[in-house]
Amino acid sequence: MTEGKPKRVLVVDDAALVRLYYRDALERAGYAVDEAMNGLEALEKLLVAPVDLLVVDVNMPQMDGFTFLRVLRRQDLPVASIPALVTTTEAGPQDRAAAREAGANFYLVKPVPQDVLTVYAGLLCGDAP
Amino acid sequence: MPLIRKPSPAAPDAVPARDPLAALRDGSPDERFAAARAAGGLPGGVPALAGALSREADPRVREAILTSLSRAGTPEAVAAILPHVHADDANLRAGTLDALRVVPGGLGPHLPGLLADPDPDVRLLACDLARGLPAGEAVALLVPILDADAEANVCAAAVEVLAEIAGPDALPALEACARRFPGDPFLPFAVRIAAGRIGARTPAPDE
Repeated sequence: MTEGKPKRVLVVDDAALVRLYYRDALERAGYAVDEAMNGLEALEKLLVAPVDLLVVDVNMPQMDGFTFLRVLRRQDLPVASIPALVTTTEAGPQDRAAAREAGANFYLVKPVPQDVLTVYAGLLCGDAP
Repeated sequence: MPLIRKPSPAAPDAVPARDPLAALRDGSPDERFAAARAAGGLPGGVPALAGALSREADPRVREAILTSLSRAGTPEAVAAILPHVHADDANLRAGTLDALRVVPGGLGPHLPGLLADPDPDVRLLACDLARGLPAGEAVALLVPILDADAEANVCAAAVEVLAEIAGPDALPALEACARRFPGDPFLPFAVRIAAGRIGARTPAPDE
């Protein structure tokens, strides 16, 4: 990642160990990481502290990842256009189509290797070489 | 600037003027919403809600149907909710799981079946539902998943729950599970963290 203020990533996943796994990779790559356990918590956090990238699970309680992205993309606010990387165990073509329709920029099937996560994070944050 | 939810044009709790079970079938979205809330306590309400859940497309009405079914909590109501863990719609899957988490009396009798479902996504979600069981029961259901489930993502979901509730007896199964999937990038990390958490809350033998 380029020098200067670290880019901020919000990891949205209900699985604590997955959040920790993504945080571990992203922080080692120089990102500042915050976490949310579901889409509702993510929306609340984004209104207070916008980020540069979202890493979003699909199946979560209270608000799933696709609903979260749809609600976010409808907002007339700068946060509506934050790039989003969806990571999920749902690997079917209908899931990929749903992710695109919801506003995901990339879609990765779990388990996501840490180096793959950081490459895509770099692409979406404009840090790629 | 706050997130804005459009207000409903009608009061959501308004009692439908017509028979709720009929309104549930062919009313307007607001009528169906109110009917869904009322139907759980009516004779024939649970089968009507079950049928409505299968055809309902409005997320707000679906949520009301799921809430009424989970409050009813009868075996018939739970049986109506369960198939929707297979839904293609992520919003319906999430609502289904939220409803199953709060079924009075719990999901204990249904979990072994869900954990053995042919669909790995259902098994994965069932691991998360096991959190609602007493710790001993959940560990007894989830350790065999570590031993035998063919899908690494399902095992990872079991590890996630066991990290919070298991004792040191589960450590060999956790470590063996990580060895079963040598190419998986996440499981060794998850098992290492889980083992650390289990160790941290296990008193030393002479304490």
